[in-house]
Amino acid sequence: MKTVRIWFKKLGAARFISHLDLNRCMARAVHMAKIPLWYTQGFNPHAFITFALPLSLGVRGERECMDMKIDETKITDEELLLRLQKTLPADLPVFAVTDPKEKPGKIAYALYELKMCSETPENAETDLFQKWESFLNQEKIPAEKRSKSGPLVVDLKPDLQIRKIFQDGETIYTEVLLPAGSEYNLNPSLLVETFRSQSGASFFCEYTRHCLYNKQMEPFQ
Amino acid sequence: MQRMNPNMEKIWMKVQKPSRYTGGELNSVIKNKEDVDVRFAFCFPDVYEVGMSHLGMKILYGILNEMDGVWCERVFAPWIDMEEQLRDAHLDLYALESGDSLREFDILGFTLQYELSYSNILNMLDMSGIPLLASQREGLKNLVVAGGPCACNPEPLADFVDLFFLGEGEEIDKELILLYRKCKQENVGKQEFLIQAAQIPGVYVPSLYDVKYKENGTISSVTPLCGAPAKITKRVMNDLDSMYFPDRFVVPYLDIVHNRAVSEVLRGCIRGCRFCQAGFIYRPFREKSVETINRQCKSLCENTGYDEISLSSLSTSDYRQLNPLLDKLLTWTEDARVGISLPSLRVDNFSTEVMDKIKTVRRSGLTFAPEAGTQRLRDVINKNVTEEELMKTVSTAFKGGWNSIKLYFMIGLPTETLEDIEGIVNLGQKVVDAFYANPDRPKGRGVSVSVSASGFVPKPFTPFQWEPQDTVKELREKQKHLVNCVHSRKLECNYHEAVVSFLEGVFARGDRRLGPVLLEAHRQGCKFDGWNDCFSYEKWMRAFQICKVDPAFYANRRRSFDEILPWDHLDYGITKEFLIRECKKAYQAEITPNCMQKCSACGASCFKGGICVEDRTDLV
Ligand code: SF4
Repeated sequence: MKTVRIWFKKLGAARFISHLDLNRCMARAVHMAKIPLWYTQGFNPHAFITFALPLSLGVRGERECMDMKIDETKITDEELLLRLQKTLPADLPVFAVTDPKEKPGKIAYALYELKMCSETPENAETDLFQKWESFLNQEKIPAEKRSKSGPLVVDLKPDLQIRKIFQDGETIYTEVLLPAGSEYNLNPSLLVETFRSQSGASFFCEYTRHCLYNKQMEPFQ
Repeated sequence: MQRMNPNMEKIWMKVQKPSRYTGGELNSVIKNKEDVDVRFAFCFPDVYEVGMSHLGMKILYGILNEMDGVWCERVFAPWIDMEEQLRDAHLDLYALESGDSLREFDILGFTLQYELSYSNILNMLDMSGIPLLASQREGLKNLVVAGGPCACNPEPLADFVDLFFLGEGEEIDKELILLYRKCKQENVGKQEFLIQAAQIPGVYVPSLYDVKYKENGTISSVTPLCGAPAKITKRVMNDLDSMYFPDRFVVPYLDIVHNRAVSEVLRGCIRGCRFCQAGFIYRPFREKSVETINRQCKSLCENTGYDEISLSSLSTSDYRQLNPLLDKLLTWTEDARVGISLPSLRVDNFSTEVMDKIKTVRRSGLTFAPEAGTQRLRDVINKNVTEEELMKTVSTAFKGGWNSIKLYFMIGLPTETLEDIEGIVNLGQKVVDAFYANPDRPKGRGVSVSVSASGFVPKPFTPFQWEPQDTVKELREKQKHLVNCVHSRKLECNYHEAVVSFLEGVFARGDRRLGPVLLEAHRQGCKFDGWNDCFSYEKWMRAFQICKVDPAFYANRRRSFDEILPWDHLDYGITKEFLIRECKKAYQAEITPNCMQKCSACGASCFKGGICVEDRTDLV
């Protein structure tokens, strides 16, 4: 028995499936691909598939991963990759199978790309761009975060690392690094929605998660 | 491609369960539009989760997409939130594969599974900017066709649908598409196309029939025009083994109503329960062979990844090779970690043996349908189940570890008295008692028995097609009586809204004069009438009032045996003489043996297939 880490993208229609549905979809693909899974003992055999850090609904994922326990005597990593590519829908392409180097608990940051488009016409883009920049440049960005013990006001500013911000035609691109993982996780939509309610701007935002990092800012492996 | 419209993504972000609308599922078929000359939209007038569970759609999707130059896509009724978003953004309802508006399609094929989905058909056309009335759609583009069980009385939809398919669709859809293609290439007009289509056996073109009415509102004559046949006979597939069956299904991301591989083991039904339309319109009873089913199940599981197979039919335990089939399936399903489920077990042949073989499936709960509370009434409806059998079965189930049982009944059946209503509760109570009478019942676990009573709706092509339906008031009184009779907390009682059954009753036996009512109801905003949170009795009654149509004429009136019924020109094999015979026997509480025991000469032998032509020497 060994654990393998399977790397995939979550694109197109697959962005809109909930975590539960993703789980089911993967389980079916694994079943169809006849992957020699390691099942837990007991009456109700339950396959081991765990996701490092589930994505929120609507977010595109460029480098997602899930772990599963397999019987490595029965299949090579290459074969596993090929078979899963055949049994998963086109919007969930698998691109690599590796040995897990780190535990999902090591995840510390996530890099997101935000694509914002104004929904009000006429010079609205420059306007939106200015609003967005001054929002980000504030001393403090208080936001209401949901937590287990009810709503919690947090300052987003210290956790926020803007990597890139530019405008291309009607679209504003922002690359932002946010704390991620099981200990403290910030969802980019919290930032964007706080901006929306503070500025009153009307726009549409598309989210992509590009990569997960550990504390040392090395890509999570 | 509208689907690539960035607005669509915004919309998906704003609605519940966006996977209903995104497409892109495993095994969905994408074709190159350049290679396609006939585009077919399979339209299911209900939400995605319901429509995607429907086997007929999977079959036709497979058949049509196997045809060169034909691309079949799927369309479902968007839920209220999605409709609002689409309308606000001025976007058309679209098909899931291409994202194109329904307007782009040559043929829109609706499936008619229940009467209460009719308002959704109008709404779906409307959401795509397609004229609702057939007479307003000129040219061949956007031809609206429909099939499915309710096509056996399609008259209420005659104003909107260009043509109907009667019976099983495996061949007839292909034939129609070939004719359509030819006419499109030759630039033939719509009227001429319809006249030619009416010559295809099983195709009913309502505009080619002139219906006249008597002063008392009943039909005086139905006259075929332009050479259309006087009787349209449904299509039947006689050889289920050679019949097309899809080896892959579109596998949804969402959890749908029946999220599993489905194999149809038989068609038709031997039983002839007198209230059940399906029991008559799908005759004759035909079985698939064990080998075919086994092969189809195997490839389905391989191509979908499903870990559960459902052996589906109207009554799967009537499949004569059930035990050999289960044995055959069990040779590979256990290793492949696939479970088997039987959706429709009958009370009288539910055995421990079968139960043991399907035990891999989660024990969610068992359902049985005695349908009526007393033996007398069960004899009236020809539901040949005795109390003794039911008790034996539930005891078996309780011993097997089940502790939750659902019982289905109907109220408002012909000849019913209050005593029959009380019988429903008594029977439920006896099932509760049977649980406690079992000495090895699981310790510390109680039993839950639920009794569900739906209002009886008389349907065409049944021996009760002439019967008056109970009025809403009568149904409500009976429901009240039912609830008042319950004295145990272990017994839970549910019933359906009487007004919903009433509307279903109106449309089930309606005629063409309901067209304007449907149109008005659509204008009033009626949709999803089968969903409690959407159904509005007030809107419907307003529509009837505005159109000056009395719904009671259709639901609550007793017809005489010699009245011309709106569906009399449609031929489902079953003869009127047989139905009259059965109706009279019902009044005498006299039962009719099933097709396996004895042929009752219902007329379906005209199709020369299945059980009607089997060698029956062993029975004599
Ligand atoms: S003709 Fe006889 S055997 Fe055939 S369906 Fe009718 S009753 Fe059954």
